[in-house]
Amino acid sequence: MLDLFSEINQALKQNKVRTALTGISVTWGVFMLVVLLSVSQGLVNNFNSMFSDANEARLQIMAGSTSKAYRGNRAGRNIKIQDRDLAAIAKNNPHFVDKVMPTIQSGTGSIRAGVNSINGVSHTGAYPQELKNQKATIISGRSLNDRDIETRAKVLVLPLQYAEILFPSKRESAVGSLVTYRDLSFTVVGVYDNRWSRDIFMPFSTAQLLAEDKNAVDALEVNLRNVNTDVDGKDAENAVRGTLAQIHGFDPDDSSALHIYNRFTQNLQARGALGIITMGVWVLGLLTLLTGIVGISNIMFVSVRERTHEIGIRRAIGAKPRNILTQVLAESVAITVLFGYIGIVMGTALTQIIGYSASEADILKDPSIGLSTAVKVTVVLVVAGALAGLLPARRALKIKPVEALRDE
Amino acid sequence: MIKLTDINKTYFSAVPVHVLKGINLEIARGELVSIMGASGSGKSTLLNILGILDNYDSGEYYLDGTLIKDLSENRAAEYRNRMIGFVFQSFNLINYKNAIENVALPLFYQGVSRKRRNLLAMEQLDRMGLADRAHHLPGELSGGQKQRIAIARAMVTNPSIILADEPTGALDSHTSADVMQVFKQLNADLGMTVVIVTHDPGVGAQTNRIIRISDGLIVD
Repeated sequence: MLDLFSEINQALKQNKVRTALTGISVTWGVFMLVVLLSVSQGLVNNFNSMFSDANEARLQIMAGSTSKAYRGNRAGRNIKIQDRDLAAIAKNNPHFVDKVMPTIQSGTGSIRAGVNSINGVSHTGAYPQELKNQKATIISGRSLNDRDIETRAKVLVLPLQYAEILFPSKRESAVGSLVTYRDLSFTVVGVYDNRWSRDIFMPFSTAQLLAEDKNAVDALEVNLRNVNTDVDGKDAENAVRGTLAQIHGFDPDDSSALHIYNRFTQNLQARGALGIITMGVWVLGLLTLLTGIVGISNIMFVSVRERTHEIGIRRAIGAKPRNILTQVLAESVAITVLFGYIGIVMGTALTQIIGYSASEADILKDPSIGLSTAVKVTVVLVVAGALAGLLPARRALKIKPVEALRDE
Repeated sequence: MIKLTDINKTYFSAVPVHVLKGINLEIARGELVSIMGASGSGKSTLLNILGILDNYDSGEYYLDGTLIKDLSENRAAEYRNRMIGFVFQSFNLINYKNAIENVALPLFYQGVSRKRRNLLAMEQLDRMGLADRAHHLPGELSGGQKQRIAIARAMVTNPSIILADEPTGALDSHTSADVMQVFKQLNADLGMTVVIVTHDPGVGAQTNRIIRISDGLIVD
């Protein structure tokens, strides 16, 4: 093996400039492949950080108004989801529905702690699970719990941004403090961080007390089960919509009566799109690499032609066809892998720079090729190098040992 | 050592050319012989067959007791490697390998370890008086030195015969004499069987026996 390496090394040193110029095309191809793969991996990472896998099988339902007349009801009627709808949804769709959680959205009010206050604040009356679904990460204190719901506790979970304004000296002191919200006194039990949300969370049951219509629900969160495919997701959505259509007397085909965000099918579609992007990136990258490979193949042909006499000598003094084949293939693989790795290093370097400068933007997250992709790229390089050497090696095999006797 | 019986060889081109027309030849172990003939006499073809570089159509060729006939490429390569030491007119050293690497190359194809290869190659270079040139590239050496390195390469596998094709063709008369002296010494000191193919009567005269070939036949 060591001998083979030194043979390759000697042969490649023969035409350093030519080898380097040819190798650059491979470096470029791999560079493009790595950068593109890293960027698409960054998109995927960003997507994964926005949507957790565990709770994505769910529907978010918000009331709308009808656009079609149906069974004596005129169009344009506002649909009001009621507390009792929850039980019906669970009861009528036992196959798909795991859990139904209502939320209440409020209009705006003001919140005050000591001398600090914020106007235009809205709250969400929620069950504990809702905070997890919305990726409200608790950074101090605790989240809501079942006991808060049972006792209709006057507790709040604040977003980090508000905690910083209300308790400017030390946001950690927010937990356990009393705040005044809508002229009522609440205890802050936790602070959460989520850049997309600035809602104050309070127990659903507490929010009901604050609401004008004690039975109204603004939105429903339906956790689904037994959904694996796009079709399952659509079926579950239609089943739930059907139940509500029956109760509230609207056309099941009326899409404006309820706004249903099917997180499961959306997620599935987004993942599908990302998969297509990744595949497209591989195709583009490999095509770029292909031009490099053709270059290597070409240069190996030239090399074999130039060394016809030398190969003849080697054959005359005892090289078997296999030895010649190995040498040409190994040279080809060596050039490809060597210059390919330069491309990997350069691509990784650029990707780090992109990742650093894009860390503030919410498009890419940690763009880099993982270990598995690096392994894949290496396999691609070795295979590509071998393919590039294949035809020149076949040419080399046709060289007869008698060539050694021919004068140069 | 070499026994050719009724060797025939025809090249099939536009007009078939019957090059060797029944060669019968015997060369004993330890002989120093030359094969002489004009160009077109079939001399080169005979050399190719003796060197297992080419096949023949009919007859039998025994080299060191082994029938050389219809060999696969792999088997032919193996026999060339172990049984024949080639010396060429234009030296045929690999120009980017230094002297010792060139000499060791046949052993590389035998799968001999690097350490042992270099040891054996150094022995041969030493015998040729070129030990101090071991790490020089062929381009840095004179014609006579190059040919002696080529002879060292031919000897390194301890072959049955040395087969030299116009070994002095590219050398001046003084250097030619030196190289012929090397062949004579190998023959005398080691009992090496040496076959020299040449058209130079001066070279032929220094061998113990001259085999003349003319128009595809051995003539006496």
